[in-house]
Parts: sequence; C-alpha cells; structure tokens
Amino acid sequence: MISEQSLLEQEVAKLVVQTLKLKIAPVAINPEQPLFGDGLGLDSIDALELSLAISQTYGYQLRSDDPDIKIIFSSLRALTKAIATHRTK
Amino acid sequence: MSDTPLIGPYNPDDVLIWTQDGFRTASQFLSHVFFVAASLPDRPYVLNALDSRYDFLVGFAAAILRRQVTLLPQSRGPQTMRSIALGYPDSYCLTDPGQAVEGIDCIQFNPRIDGPSRPVDVPRVSESQVVAVAFTSGSTGRPTPNKKTWGALTAVAKATGLRLGVKPGDRLAVVATVPHQHMFGLEASVMLPLMHGLILHAGRPLFPGDIRQALSDVGAERLLVTTPLHIRACLQEKIRLPPLRLILSATAPLTKDIARAGERQFQTGIHEIYGFAEAGSVAERRTVRTDYWQTLDGVNVEECDSERRVRAWYLPAPVAFPDCITIAKTGRFLVHGRTADQVNVAGHRISLAELNRKLLEIEGVEDGAFVLPDDRPDRVTRLMAFVVAPGKTEAEIQAVLRTQLDPVFLPRPLVLLPRLPRNETGKLPREALLELVASIPDSYD
Repeated sequence: MISEQSLLEQEVAKLVVQTLKLKIAPVAINPEQPLFGDGLGLDSIDALELSLAISQTYGYQLRSDDPDIKIIFSSLRALTKAIATHRTK
Repeated sequence: MSDTPLIGPYNPDDVLIWTQDGFRTASQFLSHVFFVAASLPDRPYVLNALDSRYDFLVGFAAAILRRQVTLLPQSRGPQTMRSIALGYPDSYCLTDPGQAVEGIDCIQFNPRIDGPSRPVDVPRVSESQVVAVAFTSGSTGRPTPNKKTWGALTAVAKATGLRLGVKPGDRLAVVATVPHQHMFGLEASVMLPLMHGLILHAGRPLFPGDIRQALSDVGAERLLVTTPLHIRACLQEKIRLPPLRLILSATAPLTKDIARAGERQFQTGIHEIYGFAEAGSVAERRTVRTDYWQTLDGVNVEECDSERRVRAWYLPAPVAFPDCITIAKTGRFLVHGRTADQVNVAGHRISLAELNRKLLEIEGVEDGAFVLPDDRPDRVTRLMAFVVAPGKTEAEIQAVLRTQLDPVFLPRPLVLLPRLPRNETGKLPREALLELVASIPDSYD
C-alpha cells in the first residue's frame, strides 16, 4: 500500500529521479520508503549530486554534521519536510 | 633491506590528527597503537573497515606491529567484504562498535585510550614487510590481490611530497574527501601526511559545506585531497574555502575548464595524481598547465613488446597500464582513455567481461551486456545494462546483481529488451550499444 505523495513531495520526487537518472516514474517512489540503502539503493555520490540539485532549486545547503542528516535522507517524506523547513527559494 | 620509522618527524607532543573528540598528539597515537596491537587476535590478515581515518590508522599501525597484513576492501558493502574474506579464511574484520558483517569474524575496535599516554619509542618497520593488500576486479570474478610493502607505501609518500613541495616537518594539515581504504586515499590522505609529520583529519567530508567545515577545523595551512566530483560541487555551490596550499585530485581525470575555475575560485594550485591499484600513484600534473603526466621520482614508464608498463624499485615486477598511453621523453606520458574492457566508476575499476559474466549467470537471463556511456566531464558516469530475460522483471535482476556487485557498478538503468543488436558474427559492437543508450530517455518527466 503506497501512501499518497503531497504536492511538494511530487516535485522533490521528480527532482530526485531527474538528477539521478533513475529509471522509475517519480509517482512510483513510496514516500515512506528509504531512499538510500535497501530502498532505491542510492550511494554517497548520489547524495552529493542530490544535495547540489536541492541547493540550486530550493537554496537549502545540506550538511553531514546536521544531527538530523540520517533522518533527512531516510525517505522522500523526510527529505521533503526538511526542504519545506529550510528552503530559501 | 633496511627499516624505517612507523611515523614521520613528529615530536611527542606534536598534533598528529584532528578527530571529532579533539586533536591527538603523536605520543597519544602511539600509545593507542600499542594498546590496540596487544588486543588483536593472532591471525595473519585483517580487513580494516573502520570509518574514522584515525581509527583506521590506529588499526593499520597496530596490525603492522603485529606483522598482520591489512586487506583494503574496495567498498565496505557486505558482499565485497565477504568475497574478500572468502579468499582469506584466516582473516578477521576490524569494525566500528555496533557494526558487524554477517558471515565474517568481526572484532570491534576500541576507540578509547585507557589510561594516560606514556612515552614510547617510535617502532621501525622493515621495507620488505607486506603491510597491505589492495584489490582490483580481475576477469576471474574473484578480487585480484595486489600486495603493498612498507617500502612501496613510504616511497610513494616521499616521492609525492617531493613533487608537491611538501617538506618533512611542515605544519600542514591534510583534509580528504576520499575513503582511506581506497589505494589513492591510503597514499594521499594517510601515508603522505604521516611520513612528512603533517596533521591528518579523521573525517571524510562529503558536501561542500562539510569540506569547508573540515578545512576550518584544522586551523593550519591546508592541503585538500579530493576528486573532480567534489571540486565541481564546491564550484557549483560557489563556496569559499579557507586558504589552501594546494588541492590534490585523483580517481578520474579533471578537465582543464574545471581546473581553471577551481584555481581561480579557491586561489590555489590544483594538481592531479595518476595511478592505479596495482602500481599505486605513478605520476602528477598541474592540470591548467599541461596534459602531460610527469612520473614521480623512482618511477619509470617503458614500452615492452607493445605493452606500456610501470617499473619501480619497490614493485616486484613491471605492471601494465590499464589505460592507453603514449610515452613522450623523460618520463612524460599522455593518457588517452581506458583499454577497451576496463571501466572506471567513481575510482573503482572492473572489467566489462566480468560484469557481463555475472549478468549471464543469473537464472532466466538469456543475453545481456553492460555498457559505460561516454563520460560527461567531471561527473560520475553510471553503467547501463541491456538484458534479454523473458518473464523476469528489472527489479528481480537488480536484486540478484545487488548481492554480487559493488553498488557503484549496479546498472542505472537496467533495460529489458526482446533481443540485443548483435551482428552476424554474434558480436555486439559498442556503436550498437551506444545507439541503444541514446534511444533511452534521460529520465521520466
């Protein structure tokens, strides 16, 4: 049972898919599923590429020493929540 | 052969490394090494999977004192670690507290130093002692071991320092974005600073903001060891870095454009190292000035029976280049790209033949081929795979590959087709594969 994506989640899902050239439809990303590790199976190179795209699109610069970094990257939902909180554009 | 000190010209109270818990002096480090060395099990091989560069270095040095050989996993993915451990049944794995790899004997590293540090003599290590094994993916499917002697590691460190103008005793700090288990990481982020008495940084910054923070942490003159990917990221973020003596880049070629922009924005010289796991670092260039690589002191390149090889006193035998090169005069050479069967993804090399063999071994896969699309400069290009497997889904095949391959080699995307564009002789020309690549839309909109 895939839970629904919010509007911003749809936008972020599209950014993730386009940035990382994933062969999945953005709507197919389960917002609760892990982005890294066992979910989409992304790695640290993806994390860096994704951070650049997020910074360019939303003006939010990610940092590994953010105590919440593990939570931020844990799912589309968590990532979108962090973007909504920290975005400057 | 002679023996040389385990660490470079540090006074006992000199800072050796910055860690999250503060600076560690040379004598604190040595005390920790002796403490850990005494606690290691009596086995000849150790897989060092430790995340912090400080912990890794303590484990590495302790293993050297116990005459144990450190196995350097290409990645710390469980399947990579298991395939290495399989070839060394008498090995154990040194892991961070709370971490374990299923199917391998794991010893948890103790990051605490019990009791005050005491003055100890700097141990000496024989140049002929094998201290590490770096792995490359051979065509046999098993990781191919490349033995590294103490003499080889120290010689490369000294030659690199000499080329870059790093002098023993410089109060210079080295921050690195590359993993210390990778051959270039071990040479440039561990051995180079350690042999010159420099300050190391235990972290491995990833995002541009992390890199700036790590450089600020050390508060000395700085050297950044990194990759074209990180340099491009820092440029794109228009980030200002603290003053740098120089930037050292490796794992993929840097373009002149990025090098020029980087030198301007970061107000420092950007040098590149060319090397590969079998030989270690081989040559250096200042990218904005020349396309030619200049061999490090002690390294010779030669052509022998139409094969280009590297020769050095510390290599047991000449090693063939994995890339196509042209040799110019006095140790200068040009690199034209990898030989046909080799691919390099984010500094990890593998042969296409091996990848294809793994693909074809999967039940239900009738035909299939990996392809590395033409590189986009300063980005990591991912492999793609085209597969004929009636009745199978992409997810099913990916799931099997995930248990077989280092994650950087997983195809992105894996495309199922009714048949591959093989020619009459059954061959699959690269041009035909590239046409297939071009026919795949970049991503879903």
